[in-house]
Amino acid sequence: MPIIVYRFLVLGITALAVLAPIALVVYQSFLTAPFFDRAARLSLSAYSFVFAEEDFWQALWTTAAIAGGMAAIAVPLGALLAFLMVRTDVPGRQYLEPLILIPIFVSAVVIAFGYVVAVGPVGIFSTLAKDVLGFVPWNLYSLFSLIAIAGLTHVPHVYLYSAAALRGLGTDLEEAARVSGANPLQVALNVSLPMIGPAILFAGVLVFFLGFELFGLPLVLGDPQDVLVLSTYLFKLTNKLGVPSYQLMAVAVVVIIAITAPLVFMQRLLLRQAQRYVSVRGKGLKTQALRLGPWRWVAFGTIVFWLFITVVVPLTGITLRSFVVSWGQGVNLLDVLTFDHYRELLDYPNVVRGIVNTLGIGVIGGAVSVACYTAIALAVHRWNSGWTRLVDYLVMVPRAMPGLVAGLALLWVFLFVAFLSPLRSTMVSIWLAYSIVWLAYGMRLVSGTLLQVGPELEEAARVSGAGDLRVKRDVTVPLIKYGMLASWLLVFLIFVREYSTGIYLLGPGTEVIGSLLVSLWGTGAIDLVSALSVVNVMMIGVGLAVAVRLGVRLHG
Amino acid sequence: MRYILSAAIAAALSIGLAHAQAPQGYPADYGKLVEAAKKEGKLVIYSTTDSVAANPLVKDFETLYPGIKVEYSDLNSTELYNRFIAEAAANNGTGDLIWSSAMDLQVKLVADGHALAYASPEIKALPKWAVFKDAAYGTTYEPIAIVYNKRLVPAEDVPKDHGDLLKLLNAKPDFYKGKITAYDPERSGVGFLFCTEDIKNFPAAWDLFKAFGKTGAKLYTSAGAMMERVTSGEHLIAYGIFGSYALGRSKKDPNLGIVLPKDYTMVTSRVAFVSKQAKNPNAGKLFLDYLLSKRGQDIVANKANLYSLRSDVEGEATLKRVTELIGDKARPVPIDQTLLENLDQTKRLAFLSKWQAAKKGQ
Repeated sequence: MPIIVYRFLVLGITALAVLAPIALVVYQSFLTAPFFDRAARLSLSAYSFVFAEEDFWQALWTTAAIAGGMAAIAVPLGALLAFLMVRTDVPGRQYLEPLILIPIFVSAVVIAFGYVVAVGPVGIFSTLAKDVLGFVPWNLYSLFSLIAIAGLTHVPHVYLYSAAALRGLGTDLEEAARVSGANPLQVALNVSLPMIGPAILFAGVLVFFLGFELFGLPLVLGDPQDVLVLSTYLFKLTNKLGVPSYQLMAVAVVVIIAITAPLVFMQRLLLRQAQRYVSVRGKGLKTQALRLGPWRWVAFGTIVFWLFITVVVPLTGITLRSFVVSWGQGVNLLDVLTFDHYRELLDYPNVVRGIVNTLGIGVIGGAVSVACYTAIALAVHRWNSGWTRLVDYLVMVPRAMPGLVAGLALLWVFLFVAFLSPLRSTMVSIWLAYSIVWLAYGMRLVSGTLLQVGPELEEAARVSGAGDLRVKRDVTVPLIKYGMLASWLLVFLIFVREYSTGIYLLGPGTEVIGSLLVSLWGTGAIDLVSALSVVNVMMIGVGLAVAVRLGVRLHG
Repeated sequence: MRYILSAAIAAALSIGLAHAQAPQGYPADYGKLVEAAKKEGKLVIYSTTDSVAANPLVKDFETLYPGIKVEYSDLNSTELYNRFIAEAAANNGTGDLIWSSAMDLQVKLVADGHALAYASPEIKALPKWAVFKDAAYGTTYEPIAIVYNKRLVPAEDVPKDHGDLLKLLNAKPDFYKGKITAYDPERSGVGFLFCTEDIKNFPAAWDLFKAFGKTGAKLYTSAGAMMERVTSGEHLIAYGIFGSYALGRSKKDPNLGIVLPKDYTMVTSRVAFVSKQAKNPNAGKLFLDYLLSKRGQDIVANKANLYSLRSDVEGEATLKRVTELIGDKARPVPIDQTLLENLDQTKRLAFLSKWQAAKKGQ
């Protein structure tokens, strides 16, 4: 096969997989009934219905407030954290690094369940506080708490980009500032952080964007107070007319995409700019840790406190709940200890299947996805053509679609594309949905590895008479083997954590822990939810431990 | 050749079994249905009843009719409806037996022609309200209860009927501020059904809803979430909980108190029908008959805690026991055309806007 055929073949398949679901959603939004209903007609009525809804505007406003609030919290904290971790002598940095990234890899629904049990109105920590103070000083279900939790759990995203940018810069300017008498905080605010401004801005846009995708936290924490965001509004629409109203849901999705798509492309621009900015780096970076003196313990304490709030509190809550029959005001936890919930997991065949499927999608599905991402990356690798830019954009498109929606769109595709329909109630449908939703992420991992391969070896092979495809197979792929392995591990973590994409695809045979958690939470089977959450966290813990042990960098 | 032979032996055996097992009072040719069902060998059930509750039924059915393998999927009622209509439209296979607690959606599916007409031989043993067009059948008798936290609700506050609850909220609005919980009719079809039935049965229903609004009642979409928060003390009283769930939970957690309101107690029923597009229609019919039979209903009541609707079944979760508790105050929601009014868009949206006002206490 000539390489050009391979390239266009891959391009075609990617385009189809990415664009078909979106096209279906957009088409559905202009109909009066589900697209498979014979009574469906073209109309704008769904738009006028949604735009006339008070709830919609409320949800839109709340979403914007949450996204903005999140960015306002996560950006300064994440940037400061990066400064402390990369530039100063905060104690125990090598141990803190993997811990800091935990919030990225733990499912948001698990974190949210944990908060309800730990610091809800009668949570474990709340009752403690009430005993000591006489009142509970926080209200978990307020919009403010939701923003604070969302912000704190997204600090690592900002940290990752800021730390990477800082590592790319020498410390000479900072040392100069220090010598001239600036204190560490002044160095951070006036020298280091401004230098990585573009990276911080990029991370800010990313967090703002993630705010529009937020689903697990508002689903659980917004429920009692009826705090609606766009993604939970979508859920509410299901029932508004009594019968499922796909056209209304499609409109909500189109609105979400209309907001997120520009953000995604803005990120792209910023990323390019950030890289250009960092390119002033010199060779032979000399880095000198900034001495904080006694303040290093204050910094250490602050980081530990943040970890306590965002990781320890929710995970303790959910773990504790999984071992007790009931909890709350007036309950002595020692009286209600039990292992039953874990035993009960085995009574539910769908839960057992869910656990097996989750491992399967992580290990096997992850490997196949990495193979596909590599195939796409190889197709555009060393291709001097305008088409590569198209692929770049194509890969970003699914990013604009929240997982929940991508899952729904794929359900439709699987239902009505004849040759796909036998695969609908198999894990193939889940795998395809996951692979598409995480396309941009996976591509970044794989292309990052490919960038490290110099052209010399490939050229040598070509000179010795190997064809283009043979070069890729026998030279390029073996060279990026370890990078692919690392990508596999990271994709495993993401797939095991994923919860929203599988919700609409959930059925017998396609259970995964994430979507089961949401579904079981809906039915109120909290015993199972807590035990299953702990199982999920343990899987991720093992994956993380392996990654740290193998020295995999936990980011692309 | 070997396959044909073994198939013939299996068929011969199953005929023998079928004749032995055709229950009393069933038509003489019922054996033919059993035989046809065994030839299908498989049954796909879509249900909203969680698989642990349904497992004893499935197991017993498989023992009774060996050779029929049951594939049981539990889904929530909206998912079930979505999946069913999409699969019916795509025409490439769907559930054989559809069994859901969303009574209105089930009636709509029947009205839209998705159900196979089948007069079960058990009809005589069923209440009249539970049979719709000889196609859809009520299978349970679930009283809708008020549940409360026994540790934290003072004994004198425990409401005995709807009027009591209204009085309580008006008398102690501060104590119960944020402590009441109910289904959200805006987000849950069940909640919507409960509200419309309350309006029919309780003249002061809107006053009650306004009292909910004034005390800042918290609204959820699932009974489990409400009971979890009532037992933890986050809320104290949950209004409108399926008696079946409450009974199951109170057996595990003694803190949960259950009240069947004395003025009237709404009774809902899980509705089952055989799909017109069923690939295994005979197995579907067989399971439907089994579910309605005395043997099936005995398991419904005593193993699944779902409350039997047959008057000849004994146990705690039965029509008999509910009648002992509240006499003639049970108000079963009839399975008929009137349920479709719930799905009328204009009426629904009008109700919801009135509800939103009530939520603000107006």
